[in-house]
Amino acid sequence: MKRLILAVIVLSSLGAGSAAIASTNDQEVVLRVGLGQPWTSLNVTVGFEVSVYEIWNLQYATLTDKSAEDFSTIEGLAESWEPSNDGRTYTYTLREGLLWSDNTPLTAEDIAWTINTSRDQGWTNHVATTTNLDAVVIDDRTVEITSLVPDPKLPTMDVYIVPKHIWEPIAPDGEAVTSYEALDGVGSGPFVIEQYEPEQFVRMRANPNYWQGEPAIDTIVFQIFTNADARVAALQAGELDAIHDVAEESMATLDDDPNIVAIAGYQGGFDELAINGGAAEGQPHPALLDPIVRRAIGMAIDKEAVIEDVLAGFGEPATTISPSADPSWVPDIPEDEQIAYDVAGANALLDEAGYLDTDGDGIREMPGGGDNIVLRHGVNTDSNTYPAIGELFPGWMEVIGLGVELNSYDGGQLFEVIVAGDYDTFVWGWTPFVDPDPMLSYFTSAEIGNNNDANWADPDYDALYEEQNQELNPERRKEIVHEMLRLMYEAGVYYPLYYSPDLQAYRTDRFEGWIRQPADIGPVMFSNTSPSYFLLQPVGGAVGGGISPVVLIVTGVVIVGVIVLLLANARRKRASADDRE
Amino acid sequence: MNARFTIGKIGGALVTLAFVLIFNFFLFRVVQTDPVSTLFRGRNIPQERLDQLRAEFGLDKPLGGQFIDYLEETAQLNLGLSYQSRQPVWEEIKAKIPATLALVGISSVLSAVIGTALGVAAAWRRGTKTDYGITTSTMLFYSMPDFWLGMLLLVGGAIATGLFPVGGMVDAGSSRAGIGRLLDQAHHMALPALTLTLAYLGEYAIVARSSLLETMKEDYLIVARAKGLRDIKVRNRHAIPNALLPVVTLSAINLGFVLSGAIAVETVFSWPGLGKATSDAIRGPDLPMLQGLFLLFSAAVILFNLIADLVYGRLDPRVRT
Repeated sequence: MKRLILAVIVLSSLGAGSAAIASTNDQEVVLRVGLGQPWTSLNVTVGFEVSVYEIWNLQYATLTDKSAEDFSTIEGLAESWEPSNDGRTYTYTLREGLLWSDNTPLTAEDIAWTINTSRDQGWTNHVATTTNLDAVVIDDRTVEITSLVPDPKLPTMDVYIVPKHIWEPIAPDGEAVTSYEALDGVGSGPFVIEQYEPEQFVRMRANPNYWQGEPAIDTIVFQIFTNADARVAALQAGELDAIHDVAEESMATLDDDPNIVAIAGYQGGFDELAINGGAAEGQPHPALLDPIVRRAIGMAIDKEAVIEDVLAGFGEPATTISPSADPSWVPDIPEDEQIAYDVAGANALLDEAGYLDTDGDGIREMPGGGDNIVLRHGVNTDSNTYPAIGELFPGWMEVIGLGVELNSYDGGQLFEVIVAGDYDTFVWGWTPFVDPDPMLSYFTSAEIGNNNDANWADPDYDALYEEQNQELNPERRKEIVHEMLRLMYEAGVYYPLYYSPDLQAYRTDRFEGWIRQPADIGPVMFSNTSPSYFLLQPVGGAVGGGISPVVLIVTGVVIVGVIVLLLANARRKRASADDRE
Repeated sequence: MNARFTIGKIGGALVTLAFVLIFNFFLFRVVQTDPVSTLFRGRNIPQERLDQLRAEFGLDKPLGGQFIDYLEETAQLNLGLSYQSRQPVWEEIKAKIPATLALVGISSVLSAVIGTALGVAAAWRRGTKTDYGITTSTMLFYSMPDFWLGMLLLVGGAIATGLFPVGGMVDAGSSRAGIGRLLDQAHHMALPALTLTLAYLGEYAIVARSSLLETMKEDYLIVARAKGLRDIKVRNRHAIPNALLPVVTLSAINLGFVLSGAIAVETVFSWPGLGKATSDAIRGPDLPMLQGLFLLFSAAVILFNLIADLVYGRLDPRVRT
């Protein structure tokens, strides 16, 4: 037993000793952010997690920026731009005296090289934007960007611009680019990477050459806490200043702390019940090809119950899909046109259409008598939410006389089942970009077998998609998009259940100036362009990483204790050795 | 030790390894999934680029062709590129080995040494308060789920008292090097190591205790006592060496699992080890990463079983005949 105690003491003292040695520069202002999802790669041509976009948003400025208010296009590295008459070419003028963080001038060469190389090498985070673009350097401060097709996204140019002088030598071909670790720390944004420990943290330092000026914070540490409760505890203990991905059940506790603000930030994410539209090879239950049955299913979904019971209230009931982080792209569906929760109405619809339960087993059959209607519901086990909804689903269907067979898959397996068309319904979700085009493209017939997971094909939708994709008048484009979403809503193949928020929390006693993007409803971090960090100011000269005196005293006592123990032990050994001699 | 015994054991280990090598490839392909679709879902990437990525990953070839590529590359000790990070799998694994080795290795050694000592103490004082105390407490820790024990220690050692950090391996805000960094890592490792040590004490204590009790019934101990040897000498010279065999086996088998990490405890304490890497790789699935990790884990288990067989042969000559 003595040995066990000694081992524990040695372990603790080892640790505590280091705390005593730990000393941070008292003048340094450090912001610590805790998150759960580690990075796989910081390379802008490879990485893909939400966590790594935050790093790139800080390290790489873009030609045009987006406002924190509503994502509207504002000046970035470019201070102005001029369209050509046909609207396909834009000439951008860069700010004067732009520098990379290593003091190399940032010129039109960097812009053109990034756009053209990302297009040629198919960089996965750039290529969707740059695939039809061609960039030409006019002079150091002028770059001309032409699109092969009319592109309503222009003049927005929100791809991360990388330093040509760093990337060109290591990027003779695509493969060399993707295997680059990208820890050079050369950027043009407010902060640049200083140190990266995989699975542990990324430390970023302020970039004095940032075009808006030097940030008030010296260092940001993004630290991985894989345990959500530990993240919350670290925030409460002041070990962290802000945390991302808070568990629903922790929100109320955090909100009770006077120095902590907990928020639900919306940026377009939603989860939906999808119904197999039948356009893939595998077919749904024949009843689902009838729009009346699909509508009845929609009317049997209790969205409020999901939000209350599964999400602890953190979600907004959804109508159509949200194709953008900007809520103005979601059309207003008048209440009397909404497919609302109405079990009696759903039953009446099914009765009227001849789907009756003739054998009295509680499950309806196809009109004219036939097999029971039993739906194969795919449960995605990658999250906690979808299985919970999967438990509610059979109950909703039971009251309208439909049977359900639950099949569990992980995300990869479910994807294969969807592509093959071997399902009737499932629940999954999406997070949109700011421009609605990608999300809209997912439901075109061209995407069947890929992103079109409702296996739904509608030539009218496809035609409208092409139209919005080339419509250069923003108001008209929004009208077309609204029309597309209404069409999809009416088709009843995709019932968004709720718009899902990012749950975040931050301390108010160390930094102030957190802003939400978009205004009022969005998150304060891990948003589209992450504007908070540059604006944050320490409260009353908050400085980073101090260790409380109590810990230091305890540490000291433990160290002394251990040394005494070790000495005593050594003496005893020597004494017994003497005895033997 | 005779050469035939040794060669037989080594040959057996190599055959097992070869089987694992082949089995690994098919294991992760039993369930048909398209890693490119899963990894790039919702990322707005043109179809042509996705096809190109499938080709880059070698997924456009039929299974047979992929298998031949895999054998060729593995034979050249090339484990391929991770789908997720695009870094060589071996480099990715190598970077995570020290964290796991340090945490699970130290805890394994501590639990083996302390657990055995406690087991011996309990057996020698069988039926006394010491015996009940040791058996009850070690079994209590052993029967607790390790992540729960971890959470309890986290609450007590980090959140309530602030003595230890909540998670991670180093203090991310400082840029210490050398001994300072080492101490910092030890500070971070204390709680997870304590968790694992406590969690596995019971295993050793109970095995050592019952093994020693068996040995204590042997006639030669009575002879030793009859010779007038002191109790402590009877225990240390005659009883323990003979009782240690099962403990050696157990230690060797457990050491084989050191590299596999401790997924639950690594997650509770945000410890960046191989257990965590495995659970991340399953999600893609990042096939090359999974193959590499499983090969390493299997090789470690096979190696330590081999060592156990050989050491056992040396400790107990009866095994060799």
